[in-house]
Amino acid sequence: MTGGDVRRLHPMSWLFVLLQQLKQFVIPLIVLLFLGRGDRNQLWSLIAVIALVVVALWRYLTFRYRITGDSVIIDSGVLQRSRRQVPFSRIHNVAIHQSLLHRLFGVAEVRLESAGGEKPEAEMRVLRLADAIALEALVRRRGAIPQAAVAPPMDDGTLLLALPAAEVLRLGLISNRGLVVLGGLAVTVSQLNPQLPNDVSIRWGKALSLFFGSHHFSVADYAMAGTALVLAFVVLLRLFSLLLALLQYWGFRLEEHGRRLTVERGLFTRLRTSAPRRRIQAFTLHEGVLHRLLRRRTLDVDSAVADDRNDRRSLRELAPIATPATCDALVRHVLPGATWPPAHWHLLHPRAWWRLSLPGSVFSLLLATGLCWRFGAWGLCGLSWLPWAVFVARQHARRAGYAIDECLVSVRAGWWSRQWRFAELDKLQALQLRQSPLDRRLGMASLWLDTAGAGGSSEALRIRYLPLQEARALHARLGHEIARRPLHW
Amino acid sequence: MSGPIPGTTETGAIEAATPDNDWQALSPRARLLFIAGTATGFALSAALGSTVFGFTLVPALLWWAPPACALLAAAFGGWLGDRRYRNTRWILDGDGFGLRRGRLWHSDTRVPGSRVQHIDIRRGPLERHFRLATLVIHTAGTRHSEVSVSGLDAGDAERLRDRLARQTNDDDDDLE
Repeated sequence: MTGGDVRRLHPMSWLFVLLQQLKQFVIPLIVLLFLGRGDRNQLWSLIAVIALVVVALWRYLTFRYRITGDSVIIDSGVLQRSRRQVPFSRIHNVAIHQSLLHRLFGVAEVRLESAGGEKPEAEMRVLRLADAIALEALVRRRGAIPQAAVAPPMDDGTLLLALPAAEVLRLGLISNRGLVVLGGLAVTVSQLNPQLPNDVSIRWGKALSLFFGSHHFSVADYAMAGTALVLAFVVLLRLFSLLLALLQYWGFRLEEHGRRLTVERGLFTRLRTSAPRRRIQAFTLHEGVLHRLLRRRTLDVDSAVADDRNDRRSLRELAPIATPATCDALVRHVLPGATWPPAHWHLLHPRAWWRLSLPGSVFSLLLATGLCWRFGAWGLCGLSWLPWAVFVARQHARRAGYAIDECLVSVRAGWWSRQWRFAELDKLQALQLRQSPLDRRLGMASLWLDTAGAGGSSEALRIRYLPLQEARALHARLGHEIARRPLHW
Repeated sequence: MSGPIPGTTETGAIEAATPDNDWQALSPRARLLFIAGTATGFALSAALGSTVFGFTLVPALLWWAPPACALLAAAFGGWLGDRRYRNTRWILDGDGFGLRRGRLWHSDTRVPGSRVQHIDIRRGPLERHFRLATLVIHTAGTRHSEVSVSGLDAGDAERLRDRLARQTNDDDDDLE
């Protein structure tokens, strides 16, 4: 029992616990309120809400935390008391989340996350913002100077990247988040009312057939109408994306506090997350077609903390959008020992283009067969996809490659949409060399390099279609090299 | 182990220093299990498939078709199981654990000793009867975070576990 006075959450925290719980019941509650006619149902919902309030209050009264020299001790539990000691050294990520309501009360939600696992080590809903920032600073210093917590030095960090409004708008133009939202909306609507999409499509179908049936339009008119519709849809999507980008990335700031990187962003809901630099497991630099038109790139990282699929609060994006030079400079800053971009890229197997074009060629053959079966000789037009597939594969193979030095292993791929993926040798885990029967005939093999935290959307770090001898040599060299280096989280 | 830069021969990447540092086959007792296991799986799915197929497509079901299909599939599965058994090799050397699988669909996995998080040994009833074990090596990675080898001799598996665990412990001492 060394030092540290017992603290409680913010007095209003019961309200936020309640809101969190209500969120899970919000749809049933609304349904109950609007559809459940009759007093009994309303009474039930009232009782449920009161019960939840009591639980939330009780939770506030029973939650206590204490900060000692090297760890946070948390006592919690309504019926079952539990005490949890989280050493500062084990906390990989401190995520501070502030929604509009939080900001009205001047409070924030804090999550302490460690490597792996499904849930955060500790979740504090909610602390005063100043306390939250102080806690973050304390974790950053690993509790070395407890006095510093009293007066949090807010602006001792160096600014690495800030996104002005114009950049955020560019990000909205590039990103395709609008599509995700629209898809999510469609799914939610169909979940709430399974008949609705059907009804809508039937009604629209009727209206359209009425309209087109009574007038006589030429093919050109149809084409024009179709094009206009598609264009309108694309514009709508982009508008959605712009709006979302503004909401999520307004005032994006990447700062460096000692050994930690901190990202802050959001227009109404402010999100602040920080992680130690050395806990970044792998990097992804991405450049799509729109990126290239606007001369920008995106720099993402994998960190090894528990990541809730629903709300990604861990450190994911170092630069949502930045010029290629800025991205490179950022990488060099975060990886001081590495040379980026690598001076020399090794190429793949000379016939890698052949292998890369295979999916496209097979698709083209299948397409031609299907079309021939349906339309006769005209179906051979399907083969016209073949040259395009081969061309794309050749371009891809010409650009693809890998580079390895003392510190870094990097892979680049893609032509239309380009990607660089790299990780420190220290961060590599298991290695796998793979060879399919076709690879065997062509004398090539692929190397998969596993890293932590590379789940979900991030692609595997893999060097595809190397000459077999080279792949084997690399496999052995890397295996030896990694075994020599202790694992540094 | 900071020896010479490893060679890149076809048979093994690292020169054998002791007889232990060589690619090892699975226990001979596991062969039967591999053959029987794969054959049973194939036979069952073939019997099921041919029955469903026969009922839905052929009006008068040929009674001998499903058993014949199952028999053929069992023979194929047995052959495949035997190949799988013969083409699996493992090695434990100064760098860590290595596992080679398959010939047509070849894979060569290497788990460096410094990256081993923890190790499980699993033994089913059949495996216990044949004094075999399944070794599962966990790393902190994502896609290959679990490397498992079945059909190891029980003694080998325990020796592997102890040696790999020792390598991990040595590294833990270096940390911070």
